[in-house]
Amino acid sequence: MKTILMVVLAMALMVFFTHAEAAETLNGAGATFPYPVYSAWAFDYNKITGVQLNYQSIGSGGGVRQITERTVHFGASDDPLRPEQLQKDRLLQFPAVIGGVVPVANLENVKPGELKLDPESLCKIFLGEIKFWDDPKITKINPGLKLSHSEITVVYRSDGAGTTAIFTHYLSETCPDWKSRVGEGKAVKFPVGIGGKGNEGVANYVKRTANAIGYVEFAYAKQNKLDYLQLKNRAGNFVEPGFESFEDAAETGDFDAKKDFYLWLTNAPGKGSWPIAGATFILLAKEKTDSNKNVVKFFDWAFKIGDNKAKELVYVPLPKSLKDKVRAYWKTNGLQ
Amino acid sequence: MTREQRRKAEGGLALTLSTLAALMGLFWLVFILGDVLLHGVKSLNWSLFMNDPAPPGVEGGGLRNAFVGQLMITLSATLIGVPIGVLGGTFLAEYARGSRIARIISILSDIMVSVPSIVIGTFIYAILVKPAGHFNGWAGAVALSIIMIPVVLRTTEDMLSLVPWTVREAAFALGAPYYKVITQVVYRGAATGILTGILLSIARVSGETAPLLFTSFNNSFFSYNMNQPVASLTVTIFQYAMGPYDNWHEQAWAAAFVITIFILLLTIAGRLIIKWRYR
Amino acid sequence: MAIGSGKNPLDLVFSSLTAIASFSVIFFILGILYVLISESLPAIERFGVIKFLTSTDWDPVKESFGALTNIYGTILTTFLSLLIAIPVAVGIAIFVTEIAPDFLKGPIGIAIELLAAIPSIIYGMWGLFTLSPIMSSHIEPLLKRIFGPIPLVGLLFQGTPMGIDILTASVILSIMIIPFTASISRDSFNLTPSVVKESAYAIGATKWEVIKNIVIPYSKLGVFGGIVLSLGRALGETMAIAFVLGNNHRITTSLFDAAATITVTLANEFAEADKDIYLSALFYLAMVLFIMSFVTLALAKYFLLKAERKYSR
Repeated sequence: MKTILMVVLAMALMVFFTHAEAAETLNGAGATFPYPVYSAWAFDYNKITGVQLNYQSIGSGGGVRQITERTVHFGASDDPLRPEQLQKDRLLQFPAVIGGVVPVANLENVKPGELKLDPESLCKIFLGEIKFWDDPKITKINPGLKLSHSEITVVYRSDGAGTTAIFTHYLSETCPDWKSRVGEGKAVKFPVGIGGKGNEGVANYVKRTANAIGYVEFAYAKQNKLDYLQLKNRAGNFVEPGFESFEDAAETGDFDAKKDFYLWLTNAPGKGSWPIAGATFILLAKEKTDSNKNVVKFFDWAFKIGDNKAKELVYVPLPKSLKDKVRAYWKTNGLQ
Repeated sequence: MTREQRRKAEGGLALTLSTLAALMGLFWLVFILGDVLLHGVKSLNWSLFMNDPAPPGVEGGGLRNAFVGQLMITLSATLIGVPIGVLGGTFLAEYARGSRIARIISILSDIMVSVPSIVIGTFIYAILVKPAGHFNGWAGAVALSIIMIPVVLRTTEDMLSLVPWTVREAAFALGAPYYKVITQVVYRGAATGILTGILLSIARVSGETAPLLFTSFNNSFFSYNMNQPVASLTVTIFQYAMGPYDNWHEQAWAAAFVITIFILLLTIAGRLIIKWRYR
Repeated sequence: MAIGSGKNPLDLVFSSLTAIASFSVIFFILGILYVLISESLPAIERFGVIKFLTSTDWDPVKESFGALTNIYGTILTTFLSLLIAIPVAVGIAIFVTEIAPDFLKGPIGIAIELLAAIPSIIYGMWGLFTLSPIMSSHIEPLLKRIFGPIPLVGLLFQGTPMGIDILTASVILSIMIIPFTASISRDSFNLTPSVVKESAYAIGATKWEVIKNIVIPYSKLGVFGGIVLSLGRALGETMAIAFVLGNNHRITTSLFDAAATITVTLANEFAEADKDIYLSALFYLAMVLFIMSFVTLALAKYFLLKAERKYSR
């Protein structure tokens, strides 16, 4: 009786095997920042071509690690790798889409976009030096708001995250104290606060914790109806995060294919530029030409068809000139 | 107060406290199960089982891929773990009965049962994921089977030991070789007990998440391919519950409901079999 | 080898198969240890043993890793959860063995078993969505009001109660380990010979006196083994607390602060570590956890075996 059962089970397993290669799969992993737009593109792409592009948002650090170990077909990172490191790990890199990191808060009686912060106060909050919401440094720039004397809970990313890389790159650029005490990177030692996993985790914690402040990719702030803030940019203006201010920052960027597009978009000089913008990048293993071609095919399709979908989710599609540069880069590397 | 009254009062207090403790245990059970039931039933619907996940912002997604993936991983783990566990238990209870090595392996198995499952995940990542070059369902299945083996092994050992020695002697007297005695006589006598052990071990691994995080990984598409990342309910629950979208939370509750009911039914079935057979 | 092996070639095959299968357990344990050690070698060379275990640094930017914050979090949550779980579990065992009418014993036993069967991810999810808001809005502010002003003790209850903290994680852990401790205690209590109990009743002892002076002393070894076993379980628990601990690599004094355990750090950072030394440090952590829990579980097994021998005499 048991033997029969075993045989049946073994046969069932064989069935799985024979069906195994039915659909073409491309595995990608990395940044959580572009997850909504990649998965939306992949959903549509699957309907048209049948190709399953399985993108898992495990964090930019994970994206770099997994592509370096060649456990995925492509990695994704918001923290561009330097050309030297790409050379060393035999990787290719190109930008896919542009977005913005926004500080979000959970405050009673404060609506999205009402609270304003400047680089100094933002930095001091994340350093733990400003402990209460009614600190003079905050109330000074928010004369119209009634902020209560409640303790600030800082929420940060606990995983290796490009969002953190962009955010801490910005803080290091604008705040000497941050640069010397914490530094920048995908995972840094935050002086205060609690850590959430992924943009989702931070959004979730901020949403559930009164008087919290965190930082997420804008799409996450918008979809969760979190209270985003206005920030003072390099030109000295308070700007709201949004499509226009991200685009403004994107236009100031000069991406160079020779440097594998290594570039930061933070603290952009434009009048209406959102100060914490950034591109998100795709990483490919140089020697995996076959799967690379398929990945490139997907992004080529996304560059052609996907702009509207990206805009819907408040990402900035790459400007036409940059797309051409990326396509040329693919050609030079024999991927198209 | 007299000494007598004090003794009575102390006893009454202590007994009341332990009754309260029992009520507290029941309270947690009702609280947790009730919560999972309430949220889960609300979010249960057909599309959950029929559809694959939709990207954030698109309505009507389901978890078909995770249900199938979970089944595939658990089934493969069972197919790997059960034969090894049963055979291993046979060695301890039959060929090596009473020996020092049998005692050592038996004790080590008891320890293995409680070894942190996340450590097993890191182990499998190093030996099956990195060399293979990609996350894959088999790695998840092997990780689960390593958790399963000691459970099945120990149950088999105990159950075979319960079969009276005279039964074997009777078979030997007919001239049967030992392996035949074991497979045709001893196994038959212990079948219900071993089956219970298998059921309970399946219940145990079905709820495991940590060993799957970096082995079978996750997949947002429906796939039979065990050589590729495979979605599982538990990892999906982790991802969806930590996620920011309300419909993700609802689906996580529904998945939690299904998996909890499945595991509790297996557990209850196991207990009932034991009761029915051994009392 | 026992009777019958070797005579028949098929028997030899079968007995070898069973031997290989059972040695797989030893193979797994040694294999895990070997892989963990070899993967963590770079980190062992870089950070040493004592320095790694005593350093509170966990800084991926400066590539400086120490395990102490993780070990601290692991031990603190485990200790707190035992503190909550032990009295409840022993109470349950007393109730089931000595107080409950017979028709209740079975159902309560099953209820406890079910509590043990609920997967840890469900505990975690429930903790995040249901328990944590209750903790942050009701229980923790209350504790802060009561204990906050007391010197020293008050230190434990400082800060904003967020519900995503050491206390919430410990409560969830305690609910998870209650069943283990309770069922082993119950089994130990049940082993007390009824002759001894009856003679105590005969000289006029109350029920509680019998429990306190006969049953508990008689079974304390078994109960202790059960507690150590729960300790081993709690050390390695991952998913139940990954949701509510906050992954914070700092040593804190307040129960309202987020913390990190070895398991939670692994779950959050393992697939995402970008540099080799980072991953190696995580393997190093996994090895520390493996050794910690292995030793604890071996101790538990030792006590339980000793108890078993004592009762069977």
